[in-house]
This record gives sequence, C-alpha cells and structure tokens, in this order.
Amino acid sequence: MTILESTAANQYDAIVVGSGISGGWAAKELTKHGLRTLVLERGRDVKHVTDYPTGMMSPWEFEHRTQLPLEIKEANPIVSKCYAFYEGSTHFFVKDAEHPYVQEKPFDWIRGYQVGGKSLLWARQTQRWSDFDFEGPARDGFAVDWPIRYADIAPWYSYVEKFAGISGNKDGLPNLPDGEFQKPHEMNCVEDYFQKQIASKYKDRNVIQGRCAHLTEPKDIHFQQGRAQCQHRTICERGCPFGGYFSSNASTIPWAAKTGKMTLRPHSVVHSIIYDEKKGKATGVRVIDANTKKMTEYYARIIFVNAAALNTNLVLLNSTSNRFPNGLGNDSGVLGKYVAFHNYRATISAEYDGFLDMKTEGRRPNSPYIPRFRNVHKQETNFLRGYAAGFNAGRGTYTNQDGIGADLKKNLMNPSWGGWHVGSHMMGETIPKENSTVQLDPNKKDPFGIPQLAINMFYDDNDEKMIKDFHEQFTEMYTAAGFKNIRTRDSKQAPGLDIHEMGGVRMGKDPKTSMLNKWNQLHACKNVFVTDGASMTSTSTQNPSLTYMALTARAVDYAVKEMKKQNL
Amino acid sequence: MAAAFGGLLSLPSWAQQWTPETVAGSPLLSALEESTLADLAETIIPETDIPGAKSLGVPAYIQKIVNDCMDTKAQETLKNGLYTVSDLAQKSSGGKTFSGMDTNQRLNFLNQLNAGADEETKDFFKLVKSLTIRGFTTSEYFQTNINHYQLVPGFYHGCVPVSTGK
Ligand SMILES: Cc1cc2nc3c(=O)[nH]c(=O)nc-3n(C[C@H](O)[C@H](O)[C@H](O)COP(=O)(O)OP(=O)(O)OC[C@H]3O[C@@H](n4cnc5c(N)ncnc54)[C@H](O)[C@@H]3O)c2cc1C
Ligand code: SF4
Repeated sequence: MTILESTAANQYDAIVVGSGISGGWAAKELTKHGLRTLVLERGRDVKHVTDYPTGMMSPWEFEHRTQLPLEIKEANPIVSKCYAFYEGSTHFFVKDAEHPYVQEKPFDWIRGYQVGGKSLLWARQTQRWSDFDFEGPARDGFAVDWPIRYADIAPWYSYVEKFAGISGNKDGLPNLPDGEFQKPHEMNCVEDYFQKQIASKYKDRNVIQGRCAHLTEPKDIHFQQGRAQCQHRTICERGCPFGGYFSSNASTIPWAAKTGKMTLRPHSVVHSIIYDEKKGKATGVRVIDANTKKMTEYYARIIFVNAAALNTNLVLLNSTSNRFPNGLGNDSGVLGKYVAFHNYRATISAEYDGFLDMKTEGRRPNSPYIPRFRNVHKQETNFLRGYAAGFNAGRGTYTNQDGIGADLKKNLMNPSWGGWHVGSHMMGETIPKENSTVQLDPNKKDPFGIPQLAINMFYDDNDEKMIKDFHEQFTEMYTAAGFKNIRTRDSKQAPGLDIHEMGGVRMGKDPKTSMLNKWNQLHACKNVFVTDGASMTSTSTQNPSLTYMALTARAVDYAVKEMKKQNL
Repeated sequence: MAAAFGGLLSLPSWAQQWTPETVAGSPLLSALEESTLADLAETIIPETDIPGAKSLGVPAYIQKIVNDCMDTKAQETLKNGLYTVSDLAQKSSGGKTFSGMDTNQRLNFLNQLNAGADEETKDFFKLVKSLTIRGFTTSEYFQTNINHYQLVPGFYHGCVPVSTGK
C-alpha cells in the first residue's frame, strides 16, 4: 500500500463512483461530452443479457421452484425481508454477512453491489416531483429550503424520460407533473371503476395509472440502445433480456461504452476521495481492489459520487484531510445528518363483488397510483406533509382442495374464479431531522478495513399520525366505492425496506447549513458532485430515482460548462 | 423471441430442467420411507388420463422442499410420520406395507388416519397433502397445460369476459 500506482495511466478527465441508476447516467453524460471517464464499481460486472442467469427460466426450472432455501433465509435475515428477494434474484442482492453495518436503530439496508446496482432490482415507478415537493421544507419549516424548483429540473426530466422510456398517461395534475410518456398500461375493470368512483366523490383525489420505466412503444433511440418492447413477463428483478425496462445495464452503461471514452472498473471499492490542500480541490480517489485488497489511486479533474445515498455519505465521511477533518466538504457539520426515507408501513385490502363476469388476462409490470392529496395546497391535518399510494385490483382463482384421490385431482384441474380483491400501500414522506444520522462507527471495520456505517434512522410521531390518516382516508374511499371486508395493516417494518433512503449530503442555498449547491456541487470542494439520493433535501412522496437521473444529467451539463470556462 | 435469447444465456447446471434424479440420495429418508412417500403422494394425486404425482416427480419435490426449505420440526414430522404410516399400515392390514395395499385400501387407510385423534399424524398428513398439491400445481405439466403459463405473454387485458378463453 505504500507504493501507489500513481502513473499517468491512472489519470482521467472524470471519475464516477458507482454504476447504478445515477452513476450510469453520470457515465453516459460525461462520455457524451468526450470526457475520458473512469467508472468505479465495487461489485462484479453484470453484462446485459449474458449475466442474467435466471432471466429466461420458467418457475418449475428452479431447484426449489423459486422458494428460498432455509439456509439462505437464516443466513440473511435482513435482505430476506425484501419482497423481491427469492430464488430467482438472490444473485443481485448483497448478502447480510458480506457487507456488515451497524444498526444503532433497526434499519433493513437493501443493496445491490454490481454493475447496474439496484437498477436491476427496482420496481421502476417513475413519478416526477413537483413544486409542492421542492417548496415543502420552506413552506412547512423543516430541513432547509431546496435551492431548486420544479422549473429548474423539468427540462431534465424530459431529457432522461425520453432516453429511459417511460410509460404513463398525461393526467394534468399540478401535484404530479406530466412527462414524456409512451402509451400507458391498461387498467382493469375494478381499477377503472375505483378511478371513476373517486373522481365523482372527491375533487382533490385521483386514481391514475402508474408511470413506469417500461418500453410500451419503443422509439428509435431505444432500438439504438438494443432494447425492445416490454413483454409483460413481470420477472424484471432477474434482469430483462429484452431491455424492456430501464436499467443501467441495458441502457446507460453500454451507451457510455460505445463512445470509447469509458473505462469500467468492477471490483473497485472506493475508500475515499483525495483532497489536495495546495490546489484546494479533490484530485482523485483511493480504491481498494475487492479481490487483492490492494489500494490504488486514480486521478481526475471532476468526481461524481453516485454510490447510492448511504454509501455516498460513507465515502465522504471517510474522506478526511487537514482541511476537512470531519469529512469532505463538511464545513457545515451537516454531513450524515438529516437522512430520511419513505414510510411504507401501512396497507389496506378489501374485496369487491361487482364485475364477477369479468377477469384479467396476461400480466402487467405496473399498477395504478394515487398521488398525494393531504396538505397539498395548504396545511390541513395534524401531521406535516402527506402520502401517495399504490393501488391495484386483481382476481384470483379458487380451488376446492378437500379430499384425496381422483376427485381432488379433478378439482385442482378445474379452478373456478374467486372474487375481486383490492389493495393499497402508502408511500409517506418522512421529515429529515438533525438527529436522524449516518456516521462512521469508531471501532468496527468492514472486510476492506473501511469503517462500518452506523445507521440511526427512525419513525416519529408525524409518521404514526400519517399511518392512522392513511387507514382512515382509504377506509372511507373503499367504503364509498362499495368495497367489502376492509382490512387495515401496519407492518411495523423498520426503515430501510422502502429502499428510498435519502439525504445526509443535502442541497441548500447556504453553505453553513447544507453540503451541496443548486448544481449538486459541494459548496466547499467545487469539483466534487453528488447526484444520488444523498443530495435530497427532503423526501417527497414520489419514488425518487427518476429525480436522481434528472439531477445527474443536469449536474453533468453544468460541470462540463464550468470545465470549459476553466472554473473546474 | 424467447428462443432467440435462450441461446445467449449460460444457465447454471441445476437450472436445467429439474428432475427427480437431481435430488436422488436425499439424506433425509431411507429407501423404504422414500417409496412410502411416493405411494402416499400418488394416492393423494393418482395417475388418471393425465399424469399423477409420481410421474410428475412430486415425491422428490416434497423431499427437496422439506429438506432445503423447511425447519427441522417439519423434517421430523415427515420422517416420523412415514414411520408411523408404515407401522400402522402393517398392523391394520395384517403385515402388508402401505405400498403393498391396493388403491382402495390406501384411500381407506389414509381417510381413517386423517379422521383419527393423533395430532402428530394429522400434521404429517396435512404437510404431505399440501406439498403434494403444491408439487403438482407447480409442475411443468400443470403450469403449461392447465395454467397455460407462458414466459412471454406480451400483453395485459384488464377486462375480459369470464365466458371467453381458457
Ligand atoms: C426491490 C426494489 C424496488 C425499488 N423500486 C423503486 C421504484 O419503483 N422507483 C424508484 O424510483 N426507486 C425504486 N427503488 C430504489 C432504486 O433502486 C434506487 O433509488 C436507485 O437504484 C438508486 O440509484 P443510485 O445510483 O443512487 O444507487 P444504486 O443503483 O444502488 O447504485 C449504486 C452503486 O454504487 C456502488 N457502490 C457503492 N459503494 C461503492 C464504493 N465505495 N465504491 C464503488 N462503488 C460503490 C454499488 O455497488 C452500486 O452498484 C427500488 C429498489 C429496490 C431494491
Ligand atoms: S415485464 Fe417487461 S421489462 Fe420486465 S422482464 Fe418482462 S419484458 Fe422485461
């Protein structure tokens, strides 16, 4: 480790840390501008199609017909809680024992460490954020004011939506801006019925089709990426050989590679960012080779940190120097603070006995969505902010399983249609708080000798009130629609399972209270950019990843312009 | 379309179509217990004009799931239950094994067993029955012929009259 391979061969124009949803976009945009870009990824390489070992398997081809073996469950109590972790997808999730962290409070950290990161695993919901989200902290007096508004990011939403391929309806809602949509997925009879019921009974509530990153009408730009129309297989978390949904692996990473400007280096765990006090800027990164544990330095003029929210905090916290003893750019002392997430605890289900002469056919990798309707235009409840919700209706079959022998078999071969069932889950905005933190554990190290991340995130009274309100409002809405046997549930799950952790390196106008300026640039170290979830000042109720993509493309555009002006 | 992509994938060896052979030699059960289990499953879902439990590999599926996916309690329930069945079968039929009985005798025997008071035996029967049903309904035969499973449907129709189609 003493002799560093600090030769010219390690010099690039730009470095990107992480190859997931946001890192993939950074790589694509930087290489587009001709910058020689090094993409550092701690996990292994995952090539589109060839590295999706379960992507074309039918359920009966799995050793346990997709059920998880007990040994895997017991060895992985955390990741086993994730709904998408099953025999067909285990290879894309981080196993509990491999990358330890400290739960100061219970936190189920779900991660994908490989080229593509969690973009292979996500549920692909892509709702834009609106001014009601960006104005939230200023209006309601929490966190700090966002330095940007919807108008700043709107063109960049359009930009990334067109390339990624997003399906949805133009719904014309102020709280959920429309985007560049391909044709929407179909609603079924009961969803359509609920949509009409809610529209007729409430003037401020809407049931719409979810907006999601699936190619329903691929355009030239998608064919150029080698992607094809989504085939509705709904096994996306195994990787899609058609490129039917957006992932870094199917889209941005190969696109960046085609420029000839990208060097992708898997098995490269970024340890820290190097700060040069004489130059007054970051000069590169220290990387531990995951296989040999050898440390190497790589240098570049600008650095994009896209390791996913909490790991980005970790990298910055671990980047200490005389100038920044508490982590890179951390003059304000807010690094690692004000982290937050989404509240997914509450669900509500019911049955409906209409449309018994109708059924659905095929599968759909998407479902309807109910945008936030609480406290949108003004504060009107006893809790701050609000929640959006997923909604879906479906109809299953029922078989009589009594008896044994030929009769039982006959029954199994002749299932009959059961009734319609409906379900919703909340997606609540949680409030970033100063004492909601991630820090470096002073004693515990990970297998690479890097301090473990100690996570201290929690639900508060505001979240409890919101859960109660969700149950009440949806009970009312379900009742109004004539749904029966309404059942509410609070999973009491720990933070983390929502997989929407955000903050810690928040944006803000004032360097004294925030880490990043309106260009996602460290106030105190201008050639380092953070454009993943770590940069979020508040959490909104919408899924966040589309916003990470738009912020990334916008920040690269700015960074390149600044480089041309010799400011970086 | 599926075939076009299929060639590009390198499947792990166990991902080739699963067969009873791939699970042979399970450490859980003796040969006698294995054949008793197989005949139990076949009694629950017999061969008719379409394949039954045995020809669809259900007994091996049950062993695989109990062995790999269930806790030691379930494993003991299975093993003890198979022992009890063999034992009771011999007692009640004057020396015949369960496998030695004809179909009607087996059905009667199992119905009696299930109607009996012994909770452990009932648990055992419930376990074997539910796994037999699951093994049958998740088999390739059932999924493709009855459930019409297709890897690539390519569509979703939200409102189709029940009276049409499959
Ligand atoms: C099951 C599931 C469902 C989801 N559903 C949705 C959804 O519907 N909509 C939505 O918007 N979001 C969803 N998400 C969340 C979404 O996946 C993340 O928000 C998104 O992937 C974050 O992008 P990212 O670039 O910040 O991180 P990632 O995509 O996780 O990529 C980060 C990459 O950085 C690498 N890395 C980390 N540390 C280092 C280091 N020190 N050195 C080098 N590399 C490093 C990681 O290995 C990883 O590859 C879901 C996630 C999951 C798992
Ligand atoms: S639903 Fe679409 S995107 Fe998902 S795996 Fe299937 S084809 Fe691919």
